[in-house]
Amino acid sequence: MSQALDNFIEQYPASRPFINWGVTAGSVFLCLLILPARLPGMELAGISPNWLLIWVVAWSVKRTLWQGAIAGLVLGLLQDAMTAPFPTHAISLAIVGAVTARLQKQRYVQEDFISVALIVFGMAVVAETIIAIQFSFEGGRSLLEIWTYHQFVALSSAILSSLWAPVVYFPLNRWWESMGQSDSI
Amino acid sequence: MFALRRWWDRYGIQATLTSVAIGTALLIRQTHGGVVLETYQWLTRPFLSKPAPPAQSSNPEMLELQERLIELESKNQRLEELLGFAQSAKAKGITAPVIGRSADHWWQQISLGRGAQDGVETGSVVRSPGGVVGRVTSVTARTSRVLLLSDPTSRVGVMISRSRAMGSMRGNLGNRAVIEFYEKNPDVRRGDVVTTSSLSGRFPSGLPVGRIESVDTAKSPAPEAVIELSAPIGALEWAIVYPKSPGEAESLPAPAPSDVPASPTPEESSTPSPTAP
Repeated sequence: MSQALDNFIEQYPASRPFINWGVTAGSVFLCLLILPARLPGMELAGISPNWLLIWVVAWSVKRTLWQGAIAGLVLGLLQDAMTAPFPTHAISLAIVGAVTARLQKQRYVQEDFISVALIVFGMAVVAETIIAIQFSFEGGRSLLEIWTYHQFVALSSAILSSLWAPVVYFPLNRWWESMGQSDSI
Repeated sequence: MFALRRWWDRYGIQATLTSVAIGTALLIRQTHGGVVLETYQWLTRPFLSKPAPPAQSSNPEMLELQERLIELESKNQRLEELLGFAQSAKAKGITAPVIGRSADHWWQQISLGRGAQDGVETGSVVRSPGGVVGRVTSVTARTSRVLLLSDPTSRVGVMISRSRAMGSMRGNLGNRAVIEFYEKNPDVRRGDVVTTSSLSGRFPSGLPVGRIESVDTAKSPAPEAVIELSAPIGALEWAIVYPKSPGEAESLPAPAPSDVPASPTPEESSTPSPTAP
């Protein structure tokens, strides 16, 4: 499969950016499609992994601050579409993207998988906290309820998302690496 | 001009791609993720189970209760007709499979596999065997999104069917909800049956909601009670959608679900609508 794709790209080098962006957009669409599903083994007390957050982290790990923030903004808007526009997920995911891009992870951890799982764990907590802060300002729900629920959501979402992070990170990272390599050639 | 040209040569593709990405995201957001939900519905269709046939109860006690219920309902309808209070014939429900759950952890929503093509409208009431489940907040051609009663933003006017004490109910996640009563000393006990009240603009009155689990009369500013919703909200597989019939909409004070009601009923004036742009 990948061999055939390589041959195709070699034959038509002009198609390469389109294929690259098509695969990237397709992976986002897959993440969106899996959001409403609750498959067995992906659920902890009704909570499922935050697939879009994993995608944003996978994207931002090796990119610049602005690329991370814009990817977060776009995916946040998409998550708004799937739930409700207020409070918006765009702020939380944009901050997650920017912070992930700024992290100098090679200074602390070497192994890619583990560091990505750790980053996803921390970022899931950050993202849920930003949503909870927005809910607190919005009113309508009582503060006690919001923050009690926040503890439960932040922890379960962080655990599940970090466990499932390699599923998104590994193929995407391989793809982007292969695209980057043919760039340098 | 030259600087602009140089900027475009360097960042042109990036800028175009970024604006295309943001534009697409905004478009999908404006349409409430219609494309995604339609694709999701199309993909999950082969995996859906057939609706379970209504359980034929062989318990004689249950059968007797059912017969008494039918008898009482028909008697009630005749009395209402005599009073000139009769509502139009019951609307026929649309059976819809539950194809998805909420796409984040803060909203309590489900997606149904029936949409505008099958007659589902925004504001339709969704029930399941057991009681009311929620209300349709957005519709695409073949799917619809339902805000569950257990969501903290979903507020319903309810009534204790034994004592007619009224209050407003808000969701409290999971299978629980909290009622705030209007009176200072409501007549309410553990185990009382809760139904939607006639003050509720979004739901027809008299639909079963749940049972009182605990009462806290000392709570300030209003006494509160926790109720257990009778519909199995965590494990729904099928639901029945009742589109608002014209006759019903006339008898209700605030039929438009997305606007602030013209004559706000006390329990719903502060409810933010999650689908309002």
